[in-house]
Amino acid sequence: MIETITYNTFQILFVMAFAPLYAGVLSRLKEMVQSKRGPSIFQPYRDIWKLFHKDEVVSEETTWIFRVTPYLAFVMPVFVTMLIPVLTDYPLAFAFMGDMLAGGFFLGLAGFFAALAAVDTGNPYGPMGASRTRMVGFLAEPVFMIVFFTVSFVAQSTIPYIVQQRWVASVAAFFSPAHILLLIAFLMLILAEGGKIPVDNPSGHFELAMIDESKGLEFSGRGAALMKWGGQMKFLVLTCIFLNVLVAPWGLAHGQLIGDVLAAVPLILCKVFLFVLVLVAIESSLAKLRLFRISEFLGAAFVISVAAMVTSIFPGA
Amino acid sequence: MALIAILAIPLLAALLGWVPPLRRVAWGITVASTSTVFALAAYVSAEVIANKRVIGAPGWFEADGLSALMLVLVSFVVALASVFAGGYMRHGEHQASRLWWFYSNYNLLAFALLAVPSLAESNLVWVAVELITLFSVLLVGFDNTAGALEAAWKFAVLTMMGAPIALFGFFTLFWAYHSATGGSWETWEGLRTAASSMDPNLLKLSFLLVFVGFGAKSGLAPMHTWLPDAHSQAPTPVCAVLSGVKTTVPLYVILRFLSIVLASPVARLGNWMIVLGLISVGIAAFLLLQVRDYKRMFAYSTVEHMGVILIAAGMATQASDFGAVSQMLNHAITKSLCFYVAGVILLILGTREIQSVRGLFRTSPFAGSMLVLCSLAIAGAPPFPIFLSEFSILSAGMRAGQYTVVAILATLIVIAFVAIMLHVNGMVFGKPAAPRLTEALPASCRFAVLVAAAPVVLLGVYIPAPVHNLLQLAAQQLGGR
Amino acid sequence: MPTSTPEALNTLSAGLILISAFAMVATRQVQGVVRFFVIQSLLLAASSFLLGYGRNSVHLWALGAITIAAKVVTIPWVLRRLLPGEFYERREISQAVNIPSSLLLALLLTVAAEFLTGPLAMAARDPVVRVNLPIGLAGVLIGAYSLIARREAIPQLIGILAMENGAFFAGIAIAPELPLIAELAVALDVILIAVVVGLLTRNIRQTIGTTEAGALSELKEDPAAWL
Repeated sequence: MIETITYNTFQILFVMAFAPLYAGVLSRLKEMVQSKRGPSIFQPYRDIWKLFHKDEVVSEETTWIFRVTPYLAFVMPVFVTMLIPVLTDYPLAFAFMGDMLAGGFFLGLAGFFAALAAVDTGNPYGPMGASRTRMVGFLAEPVFMIVFFTVSFVAQSTIPYIVQQRWVASVAAFFSPAHILLLIAFLMLILAEGGKIPVDNPSGHFELAMIDESKGLEFSGRGAALMKWGGQMKFLVLTCIFLNVLVAPWGLAHGQLIGDVLAAVPLILCKVFLFVLVLVAIESSLAKLRLFRISEFLGAAFVISVAAMVTSIFPGA
Repeated sequence: MALIAILAIPLLAALLGWVPPLRRVAWGITVASTSTVFALAAYVSAEVIANKRVIGAPGWFEADGLSALMLVLVSFVVALASVFAGGYMRHGEHQASRLWWFYSNYNLLAFALLAVPSLAESNLVWVAVELITLFSVLLVGFDNTAGALEAAWKFAVLTMMGAPIALFGFFTLFWAYHSATGGSWETWEGLRTAASSMDPNLLKLSFLLVFVGFGAKSGLAPMHTWLPDAHSQAPTPVCAVLSGVKTTVPLYVILRFLSIVLASPVARLGNWMIVLGLISVGIAAFLLLQVRDYKRMFAYSTVEHMGVILIAAGMATQASDFGAVSQMLNHAITKSLCFYVAGVILLILGTREIQSVRGLFRTSPFAGSMLVLCSLAIAGAPPFPIFLSEFSILSAGMRAGQYTVVAILATLIVIAFVAIMLHVNGMVFGKPAAPRLTEALPASCRFAVLVAAAPVVLLGVYIPAPVHNLLQLAAQQLGGR
Repeated sequence: MPTSTPEALNTLSAGLILISAFAMVATRQVQGVVRFFVIQSLLLAASSFLLGYGRNSVHLWALGAITIAAKVVTIPWVLRRLLPGEFYERREISQAVNIPSSLLLALLLTVAAEFLTGPLAMAARDPVVRVNLPIGLAGVLIGAYSLIARREAIPQLIGILAMENGAFFAGIAIAPELPLIAELAVALDVILIAVVVGLLTRNIRQTIGTTEAGALSELKEDPAAWL
């Protein structure tokens, strides 16, 4: 019991610690592909450190929502971390606190408050970005739901740990058409939720074109640091769900000793790094979609996920 | 041996047509080859009547009664159309330098048309049907006018869409055959004997798929929309071949499938075929009433007759099978005659509109009288052969107890008759328009028309014994006995 | 459930074939349609090789080789030679239905295909049939849909060829012993189809000036004219 709580805490610390590194490696590799030198991979740490030591400037017109949002944005991914397999493949202490739907709701809660906070400030760019984020979000919600439903249906459970064991168990299930289709749908979803190309340009500075970045515009000091860090953690959490549950459910700690769990850390980092390479390839070769084409992109993701559901429900694959 | 020659000769003629020094005599080569093929086909049918089947290469090329019938009617129409083409193509608006390409293509089309009945392996039949489509598309678009190209495009897309569906059907049939017998080379004969042990669901599914896929090529409604365009825009000898035989050949394949399905205790497909046939006849009959172009008129009549054949095959009695095969034969010879006459009219007057053709009798008595003859024949008036076959189908239906079907079919045939005669009446009588062609009609055209008219007139009153025997044999094959 | 590795990989390529069918419906560029078709043909060949390896069937190996030779190599080359480059530069193909609705329709067709082949697939003893048959039929239906919905010449041709891919994908499962002659003949036929349609397209472009099939509407009947 103590061990599982320890490992859970360890998981949370892992995600908190490595999320900025993840973002740093991603941006450095993207720049290198473009033949530039790029910032150091530890730059996000320095940014967060710097922001924590700055003053906060808060508009007088804002309400409690604006003040609460950074904390929510930081804490929600932490909650989700407790639910998903990050380092171990057996359920930990808080794993049954909520299932995948709950995880989706947690992340959605954070996004909801972020959108409200953006509107709260009265800055014209805030609501613009917030409305676009909501558009992407509401198109992506059905895809999330269908992906979760399909995965749960096949695995006969909605707890991520149990789903992961089901996929790991048989090679046949791994190669079914449903699985491939789910992979692709979920990948498109991560790109949309994480604000990566082709949905949004994460390194753009042009407020008129921002979708996901705009939610952090008005924050300063500690608030900005928490929003930034929370965003990076959210992306790492989504990546962990993708990798550990769907793509490569191997390399997680099987035993109960602290040594096993520690040994799993570099393996996870390796998997994440490989995924970073894939992400860099996608981001460097595609162009950002026009705003109304995003609905087609997410529509395609929806169709693929429903096709996955269909092929897994019908007596066939 | 004769079977292989039947296929080899048109191929050879097509290849020879490419050789530059021989290009000028491409027409002569075509006529020679097609007439030889006709003679060989007649010989093959005589042998089939005597021995029940002819084997060219066992498992590859075989001919039984139904195939022999198809071979005879295909080669007859193709031969006469090539004769007609000589005069027509020279006088029409066609570039003389491209004519060798036309004849080469024509020979390849003849090869493909002849290949379908002679092949015994059912999967190769699919390939042959596709080749027919391909070569016809090239011929339809030969004129390079906007109308011709549009017709060729619609034709290509609609008929090629059916091809993979039919392929799926063939694969399903193979699946059924393989799981029942374990063999992999399926001849029509082998399929029929194995039919009772094959899974009935698979048989039904494969028939349905082949019907949908090849039905478009036969001009069965509702997939017939390409037919009037293609059959009116193509050069007339090509139209004759298209309407006369090219729509009948995929129907032959469908009927082969039907006989396999009937050999297994499944057949409730007959009713579906009757309903679909009635739809074709109905749509054609009503569209005939407001057609404006006389070649399109003949094309719609093809749709109508394909529907009649389908109804007859669907009724699945011995008498109706005989009606179906004799309808196939009679339609082929009559429809090709109609198109020759249409070509003659086009040469004389230069227009395809019915409204612009008036007083044909006075402009050219030959054309006028032939038009009256052929339209009476195709509409189903006595004493012409189509009347005989339609009447036998109707009476077979009465005997089989299908009273509603017979009543509806009779009404629709009457409507079509009235429509055709109304149009033709307007064309033949009245004050004439000025003729465009001042010289005499090319001799080859006249010759072709007269030779084509001969069997139409003859078979209406007297069916010679060999022809009758061939028809009987074909009907038996159709019924699966 | 498929049990051996070749069969498992076959189901993988089945899923990818379905995705490439969706992609052919969703893409806007002519180049894109051709590329996805090539990808689909490669997947079909890969499936054929896998099943040939798994069942030690020379037929299937040969079929895979034929598919690559005909559809991956020859047909794009033929199209390139016959049609001038401007055909390929079309970036916005006009179509009757917009893309999200097209994708939904393609999805419905997939569901329909699964329904239709469900009982047959269940009755089959072979697990490969259970995967290939529905997805093959879905490929045929989606190809037919893209043929109807698109209004440009090349995407329509690719639609026909994609339907053949679907039929063959089902065929390698249900009719693996098909005589090689038949398959060779089908491959040749497919190439001829591309040639003929290419020639036709070129002529249409020269004569009419555009290959938008919606512009070809001279020949029509007026159904009310006789009233």
